[in-house]
Amino acid sequence: MPLETEAKAQVRALLADLRPGHGDLLAALHRVQHEFGYLSGDAIEVTAQQLGLFPAHVYGVITYYAEFRLEPPARVDIRWCSGPACRARNGGGIRDAILATLGCAMDGMTADGRAGVRLGQCNGTCELAPQVWVEERATHTNAIVGGLTAARAVRLARALRDGATAAAVLADSTITGGAIVGDALPDTVTAGATHA
Amino acid sequence: MPSPLELYEALRAPAAAAYAAWRKPVRPRIDVALDTSSLANGAAKTRAAIADAVRARNAAVDLGRVHGYGMQWCQPLVTVTFPDGASVIYGPVAPADAQTIVDIATGALPARHRLALGTVAGAVAGVPSMRDHPFFALEPRERRVLASIGLTDPESLDHAIANGAYHAAARMLDRHQTPAQVRQALVDAGVGGRGGGNFPAGTKWNFLATTPGEEHYVICNADEGDPGAWVNRVIMEGDPHLLIEGLLIAAYATGSRGGFIYIRDEYPLAITRIEQAVRDAEAAGLLSSGGSGEGILGTALRLELRVIRGAGSYVCGEETGLIASIADDRGMPRVKPPFPATSGVFFKPSNVNNVETYANAPLVLRHDAPWYHRYGTERMRGTRLFSFSGDIVRVGFMEVPFGVPLAGALEACGGIVPGHALKAVQSGGPLGSMLSAELLPQLDMENAPFTALDALLGGGGIVFLSDAVCTIHMGEMFAEFVEDESCGRCTTCLRGNQRMTEIYRRTIAGGGRREDRHNLELIDRTLQFSNCIHGQFSPKIMRNTLRFFPQEYERHALGHACDALTCAGLIRFRVTDQRDPALAEAQAICPVGAITGAPGARAVDDATCIRCGACTDVAPRGMAREAAPAAPRVIALA
Repeated sequence: MPLETEAKAQVRALLADLRPGHGDLLAALHRVQHEFGYLSGDAIEVTAQQLGLFPAHVYGVITYYAEFRLEPPARVDIRWCSGPACRARNGGGIRDAILATLGCAMDGMTADGRAGVRLGQCNGTCELAPQVWVEERATHTNAIVGGLTAARAVRLARALRDGATAAAVLADSTITGGAIVGDALPDTVTAGATHA
Repeated sequence: MPSPLELYEALRAPAAAAYAAWRKPVRPRIDVALDTSSLANGAAKTRAAIADAVRARNAAVDLGRVHGYGMQWCQPLVTVTFPDGASVIYGPVAPADAQTIVDIATGALPARHRLALGTVAGAVAGVPSMRDHPFFALEPRERRVLASIGLTDPESLDHAIANGAYHAAARMLDRHQTPAQVRQALVDAGVGGRGGGNFPAGTKWNFLATTPGEEHYVICNADEGDPGAWVNRVIMEGDPHLLIEGLLIAAYATGSRGGFIYIRDEYPLAITRIEQAVRDAEAAGLLSSGGSGEGILGTALRLELRVIRGAGSYVCGEETGLIASIADDRGMPRVKPPFPATSGVFFKPSNVNNVETYANAPLVLRHDAPWYHRYGTERMRGTRLFSFSGDIVRVGFMEVPFGVPLAGALEACGGIVPGHALKAVQSGGPLGSMLSAELLPQLDMENAPFTALDALLGGGGIVFLSDAVCTIHMGEMFAEFVEDESCGRCTTCLRGNQRMTEIYRRTIAGGGRREDRHNLELIDRTLQFSNCIHGQFSPKIMRNTLRFFPQEYERHALGHACDALTCAGLIRFRVTDQRDPALAEAQAICPVGAITGAPGARAVDDATCIRCGACTDVAPRGMAREAAPAAPRVIALA
């Protein structure tokens, strides 16, 4: 019998109403990630037990989907929209500028975890292209910065890398270009919130 | 025991009264559009500012919510409804315009205002009808699938019912239309699958209905993953009960008692609205829940719907991948047959259609085949939602009859942004097509003209690209996408798309080779042996590019030049005016420190520069993006 840690007990409580063979795995993973920010080894073990699956199966499912994480996320992520309308307006240059500023690859983060960058999928707000979303976990901020340029992307990434809060960068017109900052609805913050 | 129609009438009468009171309110009402697009444009801030203004003035005005009408380039949209029932849409309404909107609502300012876009109900002197706006020139006078959009609160079951929701389903149950008759109605109307394939929905339902077994499932594919397509999002966020009624009709017609709506993770608001709508429908006895309680509208029919949230995987939009994803597996497509009608979710017979397909079913049952045939073509009946984006003046969505000219749609979108011309039309997503501007006159918005060109109209997303865009650069983006999203089951797809992406990247880096075309064509032929359409269709955009943009391809691969100045290895950045005072800022903004030297002697270190364009953003006069000098020609020896 594996050791029951507090973390495992929490996950078990979180998944108490889910059951095997019922198509509950995605909901389970969303819930755990929403609660803890990522999917730990303990979480994989408990989820597998709860749903009657092998841990290897759960691990395989986690790694299949882009939105599940096995490591804690960065303090704040820049979610870079990879869609065509954004790409047609120097979206590629914006991506390269952010990666160079943070010194990491796509879906990576700075060594100190202050700022990360994640690949975003088009959600059909292409009137704001090119755009990124600023996702700060602690404050549940989900803001969208549209009509971006590479220069403003560099300022955004530098500020976050240097520890600025999402609120501070979103109030900085040299970053937003003075435009109204709208709300993106990224999964990292809302995932699981809607599951009964 | 009351009949289904009597039970429905008991729901409808109060709903109609509530909606009538909402349409002609005692006090003026301000409805801020609340949908993914409006929120992205700051609708929450606009709404808060309006609420503050109303409170500060103690104005006799109410606040409500609608879904945006389609003009996404004018978001945030705000509708003011006056006591006489007239509704005017204003936009874009920034928080600073809150006072103005409240003044308009209270009558302190005339309804006619520079922010007024048009009326959607009633008439207001000096404000044109929204139906006369050029963006909607191709739409039928009466919208069908979008009929309730902008005219109801999308979170209200009452509003949906007052606008006809569940009436067709109730009538179906009341008249005891047999499941076979319902399926035949779909066949007669000629409803085609709106995911892009146009496979007759009625025929697909027949497959499931005639499969033996008790446990059948209806599944809604709401994994709208094509970048640039968001029409299913509009239905789910704007009129969720239309989809639920469609699933109810499909369940009755196919003998299903369970259903799934699989929504992509990127649509959290759609997930919230659909989940709420399912709960509301359950509470009203229009869906079953928890394996207990009565059947739907007093009949024996039962249907339990579950919403499944995806987690970021494009191939879960392929029906067998989606089924695997629901059933606790990696969402990997598998070989067909067996088709889902034989072996679907949990190996039970299932039917998969997309959101818009199900949403058409109630419309068919409310009317009849001749009504449905009033729009569309012989081969593709009815209307279809499209979303338009890219280098156009007006970004948004609309509902047009199949077969209208794509050139007309571009015109409705205000044409290409000033100073540029159309270069390419990208439709059908990453598995779709890349067509050149001169083909536009041949392109009517149905499948045939596209398939004749080895192209795909697809799931509703159309991206217009201007002459500022390089098709090789865009091709690399789609190649990377299909590589990244390959499930990995077929080596052809997994490795073939890696090779395709590598060739694109090398070409963009300035290393194009003469044999690349041959190798790309070889990859294309190899990919055809993949098991699912992801692999089979993934080289389509590349094939289109070689065929319709041969000069641009040759210029890159052999001439080592990118005329649009976007491909990194074929361009360079250079200081063109040492006197430009903005150069200091350019030097400071460069994320890699590639601009070196003292004032008056600044230079770009070409080996360090990553071509992001930050310097030209801040110093457009002193810095230039230009073609790289011709690389020394390497002569390959045999």
